[in-house]
Amino acid sequence: MCALSEGVLSHLSLLEVQARSRKSRLQQQSRVMELKAKVEALKTQREQLKAQIQTHQVWGLMVAECDFRSLLACCNPLFFPALFYLLISSGGYDIIKTRKGKGACVSIATAYEDVFLDTFNLEIDLKPTVKINRHNIPPFIPLNNLAEQNNMQTDLRVFLDTLSQHLNAFAGRKQQLKLVKEKHKSVEVMESNVLCSLLVLLFTVPREKTAVLCTLDYTDHTRCLPTRVHLESEDKQLPDSPQWEKNCSLLMETPVHKALITMKKMGSIV
Amino acid sequence: MDNTAKRLLQRLVRRIPSQMLKTTLDKWSRLTAAQRQSMDYTESKWALTEKLLAICEENELTVKHIAELEMIHVIENPNLGMWYVFQLMDPQDDAHSVELTQFKEQFKSHLSELIRHVSIKIKKHTDEAVWIRIAWGDTFSRPNHLKPTYVVHYLQTPYVFLTSPTSKQKPLLSQALVLSTRYQAIKDANLSGRKLTAIRDLLMKQYLQVFPTKFPSPLAERNCVVSNLHIEKEQAGSAANRHQMACEAFGDGILPQLQSAVYKIQMLTQMLPCSLLMFHQLETKFRDHTNKTMTERDEPFKCVVKFASTNLLESLRHSASSGVASTPVTPLLSSVPLKGKNYFVITDNGPGPSSQMKPSQK
Repeated sequence: MCALSEGVLSHLSLLEVQARSRKSRLQQQSRVMELKAKVEALKTQREQLKAQIQTHQVWGLMVAECDFRSLLACCNPLFFPALFYLLISSGGYDIIKTRKGKGACVSIATAYEDVFLDTFNLEIDLKPTVKINRHNIPPFIPLNNLAEQNNMQTDLRVFLDTLSQHLNAFAGRKQQLKLVKEKHKSVEVMESNVLCSLLVLLFTVPREKTAVLCTLDYTDHTRCLPTRVHLESEDKQLPDSPQWEKNCSLLMETPVHKALITMKKMGSIV
Repeated sequence: MDNTAKRLLQRLVRRIPSQMLKTTLDKWSRLTAAQRQSMDYTESKWALTEKLLAICEENELTVKHIAELEMIHVIENPNLGMWYVFQLMDPQDDAHSVELTQFKEQFKSHLSELIRHVSIKIKKHTDEAVWIRIAWGDTFSRPNHLKPTYVVHYLQTPYVFLTSPTSKQKPLLSQALVLSTRYQAIKDANLSGRKLTAIRDLLMKQYLQVFPTKFPSPLAERNCVVSNLHIEKEQAGSAANRHQMACEAFGDGILPQLQSAVYKIQMLTQMLPCSLLMFHQLETKFRDHTNKTMTERDEPFKCVVKFASTNLLESLRHSASSGVASTPVTPLLSSVPLKGKNYFVITDNGPGPSSQMKPSQK
């Protein structure tokens, strides 16, 4: 019984091997044809790319003469895809194609004082219209407003530039707050908010131990420096004193964590 | 101390675990050093309650002080209870510059104008959250401190988180919030959950999202037992692909813990097989096209599909990466993190925004 089944099984295996080798021979032939077709396609693509490069070189000459904004405006991802990606990535943004060219993913990096901070991403639909699909930008950055105001549909690069300004300024302010908390423990942070557009600090004057309340308003969200500095103290004369008027201008012109170092050195605060 | 204060204190001591009671009482700072020293936290809860009641009587504390203690406890433990999200709409020009003092004053004044007897306590937490505790009364009765509403809001964001708002209180609260934040309207955001930190992280995008990159790094190794090397090798490519798509849809690493997602379906039956197919691989007996009972009805078909889990997003991600749910992930499921919602109404026109207030959860 065993010998019989072995015989049948081994026969079946033989048949299987034969069938396989026949299939693989066929497969090999079709594979060769496939590869040949691929070679032709790649050659055509190479010619196309060569032509595009030549066009860009011509464009390059034209750019010098024409208005950059109008160039951006006609840089439609549907008509000039290569140029479109070039213009976006030349702004320092990482951009990759997704969904076979129907979408793109843009990465905006933020940095402050040579330190890389968070990276923000936007997944965009390019066809039929430019629309933001998915992103990891926090809700206190007015993304939809910025898209509308900067005509994201026609001027994607300009929109990204503005968004990047907002994000980098936010990251910078956030970093400044972090450094104030870390390096200046003698200064108490009385109030702040998620957008880091308002900062209220409590200083102590050495010797007299007078308290000074300092409010920094960052109403321009594209900047890392305050638009207004307001001082209040139990000592009513103090904010008008020359030393504190100087501190006021210092806080307007220097990032807060650095300004505090100077103020400590000058003996204004503890 | 009146009865309400006593009851509130008793309830609190019951709720707060003994180990945490000491720190919470210290934060409250309504007890003298001597009184704090006299508390023995190894005693039974009953004994502790009696002790504390006596101390509070001694210090002549009122229900408002006990409410403070409750607030401290809730702020430290925001993941108990049920939170509902509302979204502020159409900011006015000065919405972005609303600061804390202004908000506090405006909110208190507007709510007090709308309802005669109300007790409001506002506290700013270290993570920039503004916490509001509201005890509601009405024209004839004093504020009920035993059934407070908690509200959490981050200034300069459009989101407001509420616990247990009743249908009577919602419009009053909405009005006060809209006026004090300088927006024009407020709507139900169709997101709810037990963990405040989870729904907050979801809306503030504070979790690890995955985007297509030029050089996709291999996602963190999963500890899986390899049963058959050949199968593993064959499946490796498609498994990695599924995992990438699952992570792009839901996120990587630890995901905010949602407990449920509810889809309320109201469709004419001709569309029924298609709509349920949208849930891809989920088994449903209504997929049978020959089933005349289901396909020849006059009234629209209504049903509610609820997904429940201890960590819904984690479960959905796992279903997608393991192949249970087909990839690319259906927008119905990926809409949960994408839109920050876990309640959807699906009609013949496709998934649309739910215009009604969310029905109470069972």
